[in-house]
Amino acid sequence: MNRSLLSKDNFALPTDVKTSLIDHASYAKFDNSGRYIAAGRLDGTASIWDLETRSIVRNLDAHVKAVTSMDWSRNSRYVLTSSKDWNVIIWDLCSTCEPIQRHTTIRFDAPVVSASFHPRNSNIVLVLLNTGDAYVVDLRKEHRSRVELVDEMEDGHTDKSRSAMTVARFDTSGKHIFIGTSMGCVLVFNSRTKTLVGRHKIAGAGIMRGFDFAKGGRRLVTNSADRTLRQFTLPIYPPPSSQSVLETELEPQYRFSDHVNRTAWHAMSYSPDGDFLAGGVADTATHKIYIYDITRDGQLITTLDGGRELLIYLHWHPSLPIIASTTNVGNILIWHCRIPERWGAFAGGFEEVDENVEYQEREDEFDIEDEADVYTRKMKAEEQEVDIDGDAEVDEEKSILTSASIVVASDARDEDTVWADEEPDDDSDTGGCRLKIIIVDEDYL
Amino acid sequence: MEAQDHIMDVVESETESRIPSHAPQQAPAGNTHGELPNSDQDASSSSKAIPPTNYKLRYTLAGHTMSISALKFSPDGLTLASAAADKVIKFWSAETGEYLRTFKGHSEGISDIAWSNDGEYIASASDDKTVKIWNLELVEAVKTLVGHTSFVFCVNYSPHSNLLVSGGFDETVRVWDIATGKCMRVIPAHSDPVTAAGFSHDGTLVVSSAMDGLVRIWDIDSGQCLKTLVDDDNPVCSHVKFTPNSRFVLISTQDSTIRLWNYLTSRCVKTYTGHANRTYCIPACFTNTQHKRIVSGSEDSKIYIWDLQTREVLQVLEGHRDVVLAVETHPTRDIIASASMEKDLTIRLWVNQDG
Repeated sequence: MNRSLLSKDNFALPTDVKTSLIDHASYAKFDNSGRYIAAGRLDGTASIWDLETRSIVRNLDAHVKAVTSMDWSRNSRYVLTSSKDWNVIIWDLCSTCEPIQRHTTIRFDAPVVSASFHPRNSNIVLVLLNTGDAYVVDLRKEHRSRVELVDEMEDGHTDKSRSAMTVARFDTSGKHIFIGTSMGCVLVFNSRTKTLVGRHKIAGAGIMRGFDFAKGGRRLVTNSADRTLRQFTLPIYPPPSSQSVLETELEPQYRFSDHVNRTAWHAMSYSPDGDFLAGGVADTATHKIYIYDITRDGQLITTLDGGRELLIYLHWHPSLPIIASTTNVGNILIWHCRIPERWGAFAGGFEEVDENVEYQEREDEFDIEDEADVYTRKMKAEEQEVDIDGDAEVDEEKSILTSASIVVASDARDEDTVWADEEPDDDSDTGGCRLKIIIVDEDYL
Repeated sequence: MEAQDHIMDVVESETESRIPSHAPQQAPAGNTHGELPNSDQDASSSSKAIPPTNYKLRYTLAGHTMSISALKFSPDGLTLASAAADKVIKFWSAETGEYLRTFKGHSEGISDIAWSNDGEYIASASDDKTVKIWNLELVEAVKTLVGHTSFVFCVNYSPHSNLLVSGGFDETVRVWDIATGKCMRVIPAHSDPVTAAGFSHDGTLVVSSAMDGLVRIWDIDSGQCLKTLVDDDNPVCSHVKFTPNSRFVLISTQDSTIRLWNYLTSRCVKTYTGHANRTYCIPACFTNTQHKRIVSGSEDSKIYIWDLQTREVLQVLEGHRDVVLAVETHPTRDIIASASMEKDLTIRLWVNQDG
């Protein structure tokens, strides 16, 4: 809403640290609405921050070892935490229990490196263990299962000794699972059948360290051991029924690396429209974020310098030019685009102009008009109908927020989508389930 | 009553025109707005026909001992809360008119109240310079927000109910974090007492009005002023609120006028007149029914109902014996609640018979 009153060109890129949330976080991620941040810590606890009040609204306390990743369900009802204590815990933020109790626990026999929800259904969870194995855990009654994703070679035998899985992510539609391996390969599995549909060798990449997808779903950026970010445009994968595997060597569209110091990347995140890419550097002296413009041949647009606390993670807001970057001492820096105060707004009917304008007086501008005429004209103008309920602009804003799901909605009758939508979770966007406000007792503080 | 029966008789003979025709006849004879154009009832323009307004008094509730300043329905529409200068908040059943309970705690009169969106809390703004947040279940004040240096005059929750905005005679607008009860932001918003402050439906904007005649729109994230709306004559602004879609603001001013402004273009798009408002801060509100109307109290002890689009007075409710200071519309049903000052001290619930 406020965007209609703020001038458009201010909404470009983050420039300054707006606020820094004092936490001991090692991981901080926005929810899909951008209202909350989930922060995980090395001691196994996690917190939900409300950015409107800049305070912690929920504490998630169950893990006994470091939290390695967190994820939000699409309408922010469920949060998952994965930990080195071999557990993945799903939390229901709408539960009225105080303190909040775990909703589901998924147990493994090795430390969990990362876990994420299926974008359409939070009952499907993708889990990566530090042994290099990835599992799809389906918590739905009809489908209850735990399937290991296996790269079966042509001759039938599995070849696990050669490459461990180091990254596992759903794409934005949830149709495919992308796995990065220690051999510099990207494996693509179908989420429903768990069969391999694509295998890409990335030349010279080495161990894969991280993936991020732009919301449109066709852009993938990879981080790997050779200290380079590579952006790819993804091909169309064959349906699992065809039994074929797309085996191609993907050629990166752009490569981003620090040519001077050859520093590695800790994390990267696309802007909401996918036009910009923010990369967080594993620099040993400063907190640095580089932002590249994908639409302009991937050139470096700006560098954000966040001081002496080193960067360990970063995540871009789902709809605004805001970045949350986590520092090595556990603070979460919220970067935003500073809008200069417009003092002209304090005067009614006053408009600021950037440059002097020669004012052209209209011929009849200062003529004295008959009051009756003025009144009639005003009444005439007021006859125009106004709409105080519906709102095109709001719909527009909504579509920005949910553009990812809209892409998916276009193939709603697709077999994979139908599969994911079976037994939906109770995470509807219209359901009145909201995070309740818990009033903090003053004695408690 | 007799006159009413007579009208209904006429109606039966010409069913086509029944809907709009009797509404204006309920208006007092001297009201020139009562003449609805007959052409509107032609079949060709039937889609534009204005549905009937036939609000009738259902309940009269008495209990407050001093002027009633604010009335608010709970979000589920089951409860009506009233606040008054007698320092208490009273709760009534909106269905039966039954008295439910009283909250006591403020040391001075209360000027405004607001429900949280889950209906579990109510916030009250008082002349004792505090805002209190009451838990309906525990029947006690769970937070007292201290900070205003003078009377607090208006209060409203954000759409997520995690923030509260208040304004008062210290000329500031304050934004509070409900969970901790801490003041997050003090905006030196106006140069006269602030008469109203409220959030847009998405919680990104706050609108405030003041006795300096200005209406300002603020960005809640940065606290910056984004717009100032001012009328040529600069009359005292007694109330302001966003439309349900937050594209317009409804401004009541003490020149007996209510205006609907498009704040993007800084243009007044609708003007509603007919009532009397020169002294008190009388709020106006929208009906939440399918056909939108504007409802406001008046200093001639009546309640005026306008059609949103045509700006004509559809009905005038008579019955109160003093200035009608508070009106409120039901969140789902076609019910209006109104309350009046010293000489009357009653709350009345009016139900639209044809709705």
